[in-house]
Amino acid sequence: MAEAVYLLGALTSLLCAILLFRGYAAGKRKLLLWSGLCFAGLSVSNGITFIDLILLPQWDLYSYRLATTAISIALLLYGLVWTSQ
Amino acid sequence: MAESDQEQRRVDEFILEKIDSVSHLEALLLLWNSRPKEWSPEEMARRLYVDTRIARELLADLQRSDLIAAVSNSNESYCYETRSEERDQIIGLVDATYRFQVVRISNLIHSKGSSAVRDFARAFRFTKKEPE
Amino acid sequence: MTRVQAFLLGITVMMSTTAGVFFLKFWRSTRDVLFLAFAAFFLLEALDRTTLFVFAGDNEGSPWVYFIRLLATLAILAAILKKNYGTGRSRTL
Repeated sequence: MAEAVYLLGALTSLLCAILLFRGYAAGKRKLLLWSGLCFAGLSVSNGITFIDLILLPQWDLYSYRLATTAISIALLLYGLVWTSQ
Repeated sequence: MAESDQEQRRVDEFILEKIDSVSHLEALLLLWNSRPKEWSPEEMARRLYVDTRIARELLADLQRSDLIAAVSNSNESYCYETRSEERDQIIGLVDATYRFQVVRISNLIHSKGSSAVRDFARAFRFTKKEPE
Repeated sequence: MTRVQAFLLGITVMMSTTAGVFFLKFWRSTRDVLFLAFAAFFLLEALDRTTLFVFAGDNEGSPWVYFIRLLATLAILAAILKKNYGTGRSRTL
């Protein structure tokens, strides 16, 4: 159950990232760049969570998961504040 | 000229769906009122008192939204081309409305949310068909 | 949970909430359900992590946590599908 949720989360974030980067390539709209980076980071974070909880339970990757997520959302927030008009 | 409620709704819908900014509207109406005159970005820039670069973007945006046509054997000239009677009718209505209700129409356009936000939403569209 | 982790968790919850509020604002001005879905995603994420912090250990063990996260993810997927394959007004923008 947990695996499915994190995997789905990673794939959804990846989908969002791809669509946003594609949109950025088309129109050069900065908001799409920052949000694309956010979702790319979130899919990495979900991936690390998957690895942490399921593949490598002997290591604790919690700090890395948190850091990746925090940076990703910080990038999004930067974009929202400065580029969403 | 009294306007029925239904006409006003059609105008509002058209503006909400197709018009990105007041500048876009003015550019469109400029081409509409002078049809079928062809305009280059430089000419439009002079007429609308904007930068040529902005005029170029306005014209490209309008063409991408299928509201005006690029003149084929020229570089960067655009004109209004009649696609359908219904489209002509709607733009005529919009033109008439805008003359008398500049403030209301401007507010309507500004209430739409910025174009960055709309581009965000548009990025998630991956099917080709036009919205109804 | 170490202090660094608690700090990261805290700022993540705060930033997630703020992002959610931005998306609520966008939803209000564009009326596009996609933004509502993103707002739900970020606000639910914030809620999720806060719940974890308050009630459980840090390794995201309770089924409720997965459920909420799943809802949030499905909301976005549903909105994207609706935008592309839905009918009529649901495809505005």
